Amino acid sequence: MRLLEIALWLAAFQDPSALSDQAQRLALEKRFDEAAKLWRQALDRSPDFFPALFNLGFLDYSQGKYREAVPWLERASRVSPRDFNTRYVLGAALSRQEQHEGALRAWRAALELQPRNLRLMQIMIVEYEKGRYFQDAAALARRALELDPAQENLYFLAIKASQDAGDYDSALKVAEQAAKRFPGSARANFEYGFHLQKIGKVDQALVYLERAMQADPNYEEPFFFYGDLLVRESREQEAIPYLRQAIKNRQDYVPARVTLARALMNLHRWSEAIRELEETVRMDPRHPQPHLLLSQIYFRQGDEAKAKIEKEISLRLRRENPTVLEAVQGRPFPER
Amino acid sequence: MLLSMPPLPGIMLAAAALAGPAAQGPATRNAPPVARAAPSGRPFPVSFTDVARQAGLRMTFTYGGEQSKKYIIEANGTGVAFLDYDNDGRQDLFVVNGSRLEGFPPGQEPTNHLYRNLGGGRFEDVTRQTGLIRSGWGGGVCVADFDNDGFDDLYVTYWGSNVLYRNNGKGGFEDVTARAGVAGPGKEWSSGCTFLDYDRDGHLDLFVTSYQRFDLARAPLPGKASNCEWKGMPVFCGPRGLPFGKVTLYHNRGDGTFEDVSEKSGIRAVRDFYAFTAVAADLTGDGWPDLYVACDSTPSLFFRNNRNGTFSEIATETGVAYSEHGFEQGGMGVAVGDFDNDGLLDLLKTNFAGDYPNLYRNQGGGIFEDVVLKAGLAVNPQYVGWGVAFVDLDNDGWKDIFQVNGHVYPELDRREGQEKYRNPRLVYRNLGNGRFEDVSAMAGAGVTEKKSSRGAAFGDFDNDGALDVLVMNMGEAPSLLRNELRSRNHWIKVKLQGTRSNRGAVGATVVVEAGGLKQTDVLLSQSSYLSHNDSRLHFGLGKAVRVEKFTVRWPGGTVEDFPGVPADCLVLLVEGSGRARTLSLAK
Repeated sequence: MRLLEIALWLAAFQDPSALSDQAQRLALEKRFDEAAKLWRQALDRSPDFFPALFNLGFLDYSQGKYREAVPWLERASRVSPRDFNTRYVLGAALSRQEQHEGALRAWRAALELQPRNLRLMQIMIVEYEKGRYFQDAAALARRALELDPAQENLYFLAIKASQDAGDYDSALKVAEQAAKRFPGSARANFEYGFHLQKIGKVDQALVYLERAMQADPNYEEPFFFYGDLLVRESREQEAIPYLRQAIKNRQDYVPARVTLARALMNLHRWSEAIRELEETVRMDPRHPQPHLLLSQIYFRQGDEAKAKIEKEISLRLRRENPTVLEAVQGRPFPER
Repeated sequence: MLLSMPPLPGIMLAAAALAGPAAQGPATRNAPPVARAAPSGRPFPVSFTDVARQAGLRMTFTYGGEQSKKYIIEANGTGVAFLDYDNDGRQDLFVVNGSRLEGFPPGQEPTNHLYRNLGGGRFEDVTRQTGLIRSGWGGGVCVADFDNDGFDDLYVTYWGSNVLYRNNGKGGFEDVTARAGVAGPGKEWSSGCTFLDYDRDGHLDLFVTSYQRFDLARAPLPGKASNCEWKGMPVFCGPRGLPFGKVTLYHNRGDGTFEDVSEKSGIRAVRDFYAFTAVAADLTGDGWPDLYVACDSTPSLFFRNNRNGTFSEIATETGVAYSEHGFEQGGMGVAVGDFDNDGLLDLLKTNFAGDYPNLYRNQGGGIFEDVVLKAGLAVNPQYVGWGVAFVDLDNDGWKDIFQVNGHVYPELDRREGQEKYRNPRLVYRNLGNGRFEDVSAMAGAGVTEKKSSRGAAFGDFDNDGALDVLVMNMGEAPSLLRNELRSRNHWIKVKLQGTRSNRGAVGATVVVEAGGLKQTDVLLSQSSYLSHNDSRLHFGLGKAVRVEKFTVRWPGGTVEDFPGVPADCLVLLVEGSGRARTLSLAK
């Protein structure tokens, strides 16, 4: 402590650069409070001293103090408007606070400084989506794809962004490109099959979903969508093995379990459907869908009292867990 | 710089960030248009022309801001009606009007309008002389002869107190709301209404839906909450996040007064919905009228008549509450009809943009299956759908579909993108095999013109045997779409008169047998979107030159057969008479 006081006293006579160097050494030793003091002193000497402004902001950001980081980084970006890192960290701090517009403003400035930075583009696409700027997300995704058409993940970002922007033609087109460019990729084939089934091109969709299943037999989604498509075509008997495989691949895959139950219901295999739904309830007690289908089965069996109970549970769960309902057709971006 | 750069956070967030759409006001699921089947190649002999102006319909609908809307109260528009208020054999028109937030100078407030059909395609505005001038935020309209005096009466819903107009039979209407006791609580934003005889006592009861309990002082401003944006654009808030509406059932005592039986009938036990159009029809096939209500962003409602004065809500159980995958939808309008001619009444519900309508095929016993994908109706999810009907536009014996559209956000017109505030109408031809074909592009300028429409009523205003359409357009004059049908197909119109049942026979089901087809339809007092259709049921007969037989299931429960008649006329079927009397059609 004594040594620090001496260092600070000495620092009072030093120029801002020397103070900053010293602060960085302290920061490296994880002595963040002491480092911050020195950077503040540097700023007392020179209020526009960029390294101190940036590092104070970055220090706060690294410690999770996003709100505190922002003023430092804003000052730093005014002092040094062409510094990529400042813009980037400022955007990240704002993003962490769900300030999508501010984050995107900072990142757009960063992208102007490094217009081929694909990693930043990917981050921005996600941020645009979070802020529901779907058109911008789609445009940026297409730009990223033009820069590096060999990167598979960029296709998926572009597909998802186009889809969210309501540009289904583009989504389908990019999915087709991905399937052609990466014919052995389970995900690329799945994406194309998924989009084909979305627009009702059943026969073509089945081909690509089948390719996806062959490419990766452990990938649950192609199995589910293949089965779901067959159920929609009233081919329940054929659908059941695919839905069972989807569930085998992912035990907690509620949409697959619910669709399997629906297939069994359509075949009037009531007790099997009930068993499946009860198992789903055990697996995910917050999900409203199994209760909804149980309600329908009991009603058809003439047990209106039980049907009503299940309906009310379904309704309550829907209200209590508004995000738990996974949209089958609006599924999340594949994590694989 | 000493500190190392942090890992890029966006990628780590990707899965979570894209897990699903953030909250929005209305329910939608971003559904794409499904690929269309190859065109049938058959000509479509129907062409609609908007003749509103030449017919003399000069009013303009007012419904909130035209460039932007601050509150949801400005968005939903109104219903319209075909009715023959003076019993001269010609369909007159009634249109409900709205208001705007800033109000109007005294004497300049917009009003509802009644147009008397003069024949020859001309109408006269008779609002003042019939006593129907009224301003305010109007909503829906339902029409029926509630006092069994042989003249159709009107019920109009409002944000505020609702109004019952009794037709005095002398060319005017009288506001009998207070005496009848059907004004409602006054603070609700009522939307749908329908007359029905739920206890089959021969007196028409009244069912009223409320969209929400809207309070301007408490409503958040655009963009101020997660339910106040649309695809990143700040817009008016709701319906999600705003107080729910409710439903009310009034029992007609038969002396001009009604009793609120919402609690004892069991319907008030159902909560948490934003209700729009109400239809009353025997959907379970037991001879008693049930109720179906399209709800916005909440599960739709199906009240089964328990035949003892009570109802049970069974929409979830029977498959008409949600989409096929169990999602809440932005339900607006409802059509009732037997699209596949199997003798069972089916339902068609219009929904918000980014979603398909529901074509709920009745499987019998009140169980339904949504066959919208199989039917080929999932091809235009880009529109917010409102008024809709099953109507045989080409008189081929198979009911087609007419739908009006219009987004709720005028701000979309100033944004790039495919979504716009004003949209064309849609016409789907029934191919007779369970499938429909979009023939909108072939159906004339009245269909392709772009408006932000809400209510739509269907009827034959020029009595030429082709069904026309009256449409409410936000901020514009109504459209009166004349069906210029170029076809030699035959048709029949059926007018019903109850004797033991309610005189207007609201709720009656008619089966027409002709040309090897058995067509079924029902007489409703509201459908489409908050609107009322021509009470004369219209059936296309194709090449058949006569009807072989009529069967009527009267609202009182009896089933009666009537002998056939030659085609191309209006026939009057009076309960208990066993006779089919042809009537001349006024021109």
